[in-house]
Amino acid sequence: MMLKVDNLEVEIEGVQVLRGISFTLESGKTTVLIGRNGAGKTTTLRAIMGLLPVVSGTVSLAGDALLDKPAFARAPLGIGYAPEDRRLIAEFSVRENILLPALALNMAPAERKRRLDETYALIPQLETLDARPGGSVSGGQGKMVALGRALMVADRVLLLDEPFQGLAPALALDYARALKRLKAEKRDIAYMITESSPDLLSSVADETLTIERGMVSGGTVEAI
Amino acid sequence: MLDMALPLIMDALANAALIFFVAVGLTLVFSVQRILNVAHGSFYSIGAYIAASMGLWLISAGLNPWLSFPALLLSAALVAMVLGPLVERTLIRWTYGRHEAIQILVTFGLFLILEDLQRLVFGVRSIYQDTPMALLGVSEIGGIFYLNYQLLLIVLALAVLFGMRFLIKHTRLGRLLVAVVADREVSLAMGINTDRAFVLAFTLGVFLAALGGALATPTTGVAPGLGAETMVLAFAVAAIGGLGQIEGAAVASIIVAGAKVLAVYYAPAFDTVAPFLVMLAVLLVRPNGLFGTATTRKI
Repeated sequence: MMLKVDNLEVEIEGVQVLRGISFTLESGKTTVLIGRNGAGKTTTLRAIMGLLPVVSGTVSLAGDALLDKPAFARAPLGIGYAPEDRRLIAEFSVRENILLPALALNMAPAERKRRLDETYALIPQLETLDARPGGSVSGGQGKMVALGRALMVADRVLLLDEPFQGLAPALALDYARALKRLKAEKRDIAYMITESSPDLLSSVADETLTIERGMVSGGTVEAI
Repeated sequence: MLDMALPLIMDALANAALIFFVAVGLTLVFSVQRILNVAHGSFYSIGAYIAASMGLWLISAGLNPWLSFPALLLSAALVAMVLGPLVERTLIRWTYGRHEAIQILVTFGLFLILEDLQRLVFGVRSIYQDTPMALLGVSEIGGIFYLNYQLLLIVLALAVLFGMRFLIKHTRLGRLLVAVVADREVSLAMGINTDRAFVLAFTLGVFLAALGGALATPTTGVAPGLGAETMVLAFAVAAIGGLGQIEGAAVASIIVAGAKVLAVYYAPAFDTVAPFLVMLAVLLVRPNGLFGTATTRKI
């Protein structure tokens, strides 16, 4: 067991967005969270990341309560997160964007280089973008960069918010290949990928959850 | 007319240097915290009072007068280390993300408290302590005498300008600050302790203001009202240069000081309003300041 979300309730400006959701992300498994826009996918990931106040419920990583910790404590614990809207730093080059978590965590140069090389090996497209300003890459390329940035710290958990949303078909294919390589290489990570359409991720999903109006139905595959 | 030009330029640049220290701190805090700190000028006057008091004490204790130079720096550092974290953690942090009106009211309240505290501690009399200026003496260029201390102010302002540029472009702290300015939420998710970044940026802002005040004491002395006076000039600089622009603050400081000094030379009755007339003219043509844009925010 890796990351456990238990009975999580979140309100945004008085409106209940998550109504007591529970699920578990296992190491080496990919959990796909399917739901329409506004169902609560992004809110789920942001709540795990500590970016939203939580009304009730718990999130724990290997038994360690996460919600008591400040948001910036997630990255050092090995949780990588790629937001749906990419959120690159426009003033930074692509490489500097990818290295941001390494800078934040003050990684040793050798460690930083090892992780960057590993990330470039998994997503070769990033190396060609390397020197481009973060503000100049296309939306799809930005998704790749955001994935690379999340990978810099994602030793235990990788949260990807709608990675295929708005991706051109060629880039979607590249992204899917990168994910496959990632799953083959990094077997200890617990993956969660959100998506609005169930078809895109059927080949990578080990478990599929459905979220609707803030409620996760079906639970885990074992539960069904 | 022409032989007036060089002293005028020197006066303007030395004045600009002092305003720049305050304005660059104001603009830094605005960039990182997105808060316009009305009390920023108080840090300038507190820096001035501490520096003047420390200078007077050095002399009365019979210590080497050259120690008054490190004392200027030490006063600014002291003010920053005590007041920076204290004010940011207890007061300013509660205003992040709130409406501008609340931020202005809270920081204006802080300004009033700090002004009264200064009267309480340092009294209402003016304090003069010009040892550093006297020690440096004068230089003669083309038959006109210049205060070497003024030259020092200009050099120090340039050092701060390039130091800030270096900090932002080439240091870990600077890069993390750029990330926090651009996207606070992503910065948190990537592991940046944004609270600490805020304390550091605010403390650095306090330090720069206090340094300006400390460096100003040998030239002008300290009296009640100094904080308010400086604050308004720093706001004029921020408005002209565009808030959040360090190079803009440098150029705008020269414009504001230039307007003031020109008025002092040729129309002394207008020396207080001249900077604001220039500000009005700039804002009529460019509402976001000379270097500001409506959408991007930089440090």
